[in-house]
Amino acid sequence: MGTALSLRDISKSFDGRPALDQVSLDIEWGMVHALLGENGAGKSTLMNIVAGLYAQDEGRVFFGDTELTDNDPRHAKALGIGMVHQHFKLVFPFTVAENVLLANPQGAYGAGLAETRRMIAEQSEKLGFTLDPDARVDSLSVAEQQRAEIIKVLLGGARVIILDEPTAVLTDEEAQALLSTMRMLAAQGAAVILVTHKLNEVPAFTDTVTVMRGGRKVATAASKDTTPAELTRMMVGSAVADVQHRPPSEHGVVLEVQDIALTRADGAPALNGVTLSVRGGEIYGVAGVGGNGQTELAATLVGLQQADRGTILMDGEDVTPADTRSLRRRGVAFVPAERMAYGLAEDMSVANNYAIAGVDRGEFGNAVWTRRRRIGAATQAAISDFEIAGAAPGTRAGLLSGGNAQKLVLARELRDDARLLVVHSPTRGLDVRACAAVHRVLMEARDRGAAVVLISEDLDEIFKISDRIGVINRGRIVGEFDAPADRHDVGALMVGHA
Amino acid sequence: MTNDAAGAASRDSRGGFGRVTLEVRQRLPAWKHGLFLAISLAAGLLISVAVLWMSGVGPVGIYEEFILYTFFNAKGLSNVLVECTPLILVGLSAALAFRVQFWNIGLEGQLILGGMGAAFFALNDFGPPETRLALMMIGGLAGGALWTLIPLALKLKLNVNEIISTLLLNYVAFQLLQDRLYGGWQDVDRFPHSPQFDVAERLPRIGFGDVDSGIYLAVLAGIVVWWLIDRSRFGLFMTFVGSNARMSKAVGLPVTAVVVGTVLLSGALSGLAGAVIVSGQEYRLTTTFAGGYLFSGIVIAFLARNNPIAAMLVAFLLGGLYVGGQSIQVFYNLPAGVIDLLQAIIVMCVTASELFVRYRIIWRHR
Repeated sequence: MGTALSLRDISKSFDGRPALDQVSLDIEWGMVHALLGENGAGKSTLMNIVAGLYAQDEGRVFFGDTELTDNDPRHAKALGIGMVHQHFKLVFPFTVAENVLLANPQGAYGAGLAETRRMIAEQSEKLGFTLDPDARVDSLSVAEQQRAEIIKVLLGGARVIILDEPTAVLTDEEAQALLSTMRMLAAQGAAVILVTHKLNEVPAFTDTVTVMRGGRKVATAASKDTTPAELTRMMVGSAVADVQHRPPSEHGVVLEVQDIALTRADGAPALNGVTLSVRGGEIYGVAGVGGNGQTELAATLVGLQQADRGTILMDGEDVTPADTRSLRRRGVAFVPAERMAYGLAEDMSVANNYAIAGVDRGEFGNAVWTRRRRIGAATQAAISDFEIAGAAPGTRAGLLSGGNAQKLVLARELRDDARLLVVHSPTRGLDVRACAAVHRVLMEARDRGAAVVLISEDLDEIFKISDRIGVINRGRIVGEFDAPADRHDVGALMVGHA
Repeated sequence: MTNDAAGAASRDSRGGFGRVTLEVRQRLPAWKHGLFLAISLAAGLLISVAVLWMSGVGPVGIYEEFILYTFFNAKGLSNVLVECTPLILVGLSAALAFRVQFWNIGLEGQLILGGMGAAFFALNDFGPPETRLALMMIGGLAGGALWTLIPLALKLKLNVNEIISTLLLNYVAFQLLQDRLYGGWQDVDRFPHSPQFDVAERLPRIGFGDVDSGIYLAVLAGIVVWWLIDRSRFGLFMTFVGSNARMSKAVGLPVTAVVVGTVLLSGALSGLAGAVIVSGQEYRLTTTFAGGYLFSGIVIAFLARNNPIAAMLVAFLLGGLYVGGQSIQVFYNLPAGVIDLLQAIIVMCVTASELFVRYRIIWRHR
């Protein structure tokens, strides 16, 4: 039926960090095309370029035979490219009809709203689902909000429909229904792009699959010709870990987590009975595809969120419900995934960011007078110990590059007396040298007898430094492996429907 | 359908005017930041001069009224100091609250409660006359601080936006004041004000015009706030909480305690401003003593970037603007709104500089 979209050698980097590297891709009319890959593989970035939200640094986008230059969302929409984002773009206190009207203006408000209501009813009948046009979107379930988004896009005349991780928020039945709907739209001639990391959706519901990893395209194949094992291998890579793995020293159990559960604000379960225990002198790697409860697990372990049920023991003592302040006094250190949101105060100096925890403990003067010269000297020492490049004590922390910002967080968190380190995606976005430095520092902390919980979506990292690996899937640890573990066993549990 | 779409793709979506792009600045040297600020301030002053000139006040008049007779003349300067005493206190009050991102729009209500707190001790003749003034000042601090407890509790317990709660509590405070001034505290002359305070209940003059010793309290408060923010442990916590509350929580800082402490102190300073006004100048509680301090306080904190030393300076200059403004109202017969207008022009120009500080503006011609 012809080619809807051709992407040629698309590259894009954010603030010097490459997100896409020379990706080329063809999307055909009448097909459902799966874009498969781990978090951070570049799938969403690529689709945001197609939808006009981002501009590529290099490369060309063709719609049919015509090149899209200076693409923007309005332009893309006019061409019939519609995207349902992972985080819905709905305006909250308003109704479904009002949201659809906002995206697709119909002249006068009153008449437009009536017309929009009619079109929503008609369209939802065509798609075979129900949606009340007058329901306020904040009263709808996530699945219903998604329907509103899809209808918004279709009524906007979209013929190229991009769905970014549409099934991540849905139950199995809802996901089935949605994917069948997409099949039907493709059968009517539309081009559907399904961005996902769930490979079990590929054979049943898609025609073509493209696998991406680390900002590059790995392969494109006909869906029916692929096997789950093959796709897993392409997604997670086959790099063999170059571990100089020292055996862990034997210490007592530091952290014991028993059956903790946590519900997200929107009512969806995030943690669903996590049980694990970590000894001192051991790195426990938590492997999993992003969004399976990792963020909530980290937050619960450091007391930023309180579990709905279950207990956390530290050194045999029940610390639930624990707040961050008291946990930190017990020697818990935290390296958060979002280092600029939870790790550093961007507007404050490197010295203040480094010293704040120590100031709290009374290391730099007393409550009445802060010894700023001492802070400066200690920061200077940390800068050279951790090789934080481009930093003086007075530099604004927000100016540090990702790797150096991370080293600054580590320098603050890795004290000699740390008992438990909760580390989440510590090398996301870092270059090879910085990664190695971070891993070395974590290994050293382990060798000093600290218990390390390494939560990471990067399997290479998990395999490189973990002594034990637990796989998290849908808010539960679904399997544990002693290192060295088989990469494909771990990968299968990560993406499996546990 | 592919042909239709291809036809649409060739359309020029932006016309021939080129395209303005805003690029987030990664870094801006301090001198450049200062330069942008200076340029915008100069622009604001220039527009202000133009506005005055159009209203019939020529350059010579402007120089005389706003500079010569205001800052270089004993009478004028003493009036500026009188004017700026409460301004310093409300400016510090706003700066403190804004530092922890608590948008305290209730300065005026806290100021009223502070004035009432001071009047309470004065009108009831509490304790011996020697300690009366000290009690009145404490009454002012306490009145203002207590008035912030309501929005604090609402915010922490029920997540009520403090902008709304503090703003509305200004009106409640004003009604409370009216209730007293038409009720138990009304003077025998039946005007809506309290009886005059005794001599022991008045802040002594410092011997320079009408300036009262409230100016010492204001400057002392400025130094204390500077120490608190810049030198104490609590101040560092405060700055962290204001800069990134999530991160502060994650490193284990007592975020709630820091916010509560800072806001109580902010309320206390506004309350002290009220106590200083009633005991330093008015010598009684009136219905109008709090008028206008809300916006002045916000403007001072904003122009001073929440820095206590800068806040004192800005309050002093703003005091000059008000004093000069009063005399041009008299001599040139201009409406009082002119001063608000000048203030607004300067604030807007400084605000506008923020765009250039944050972004690099690139104009691409087609």
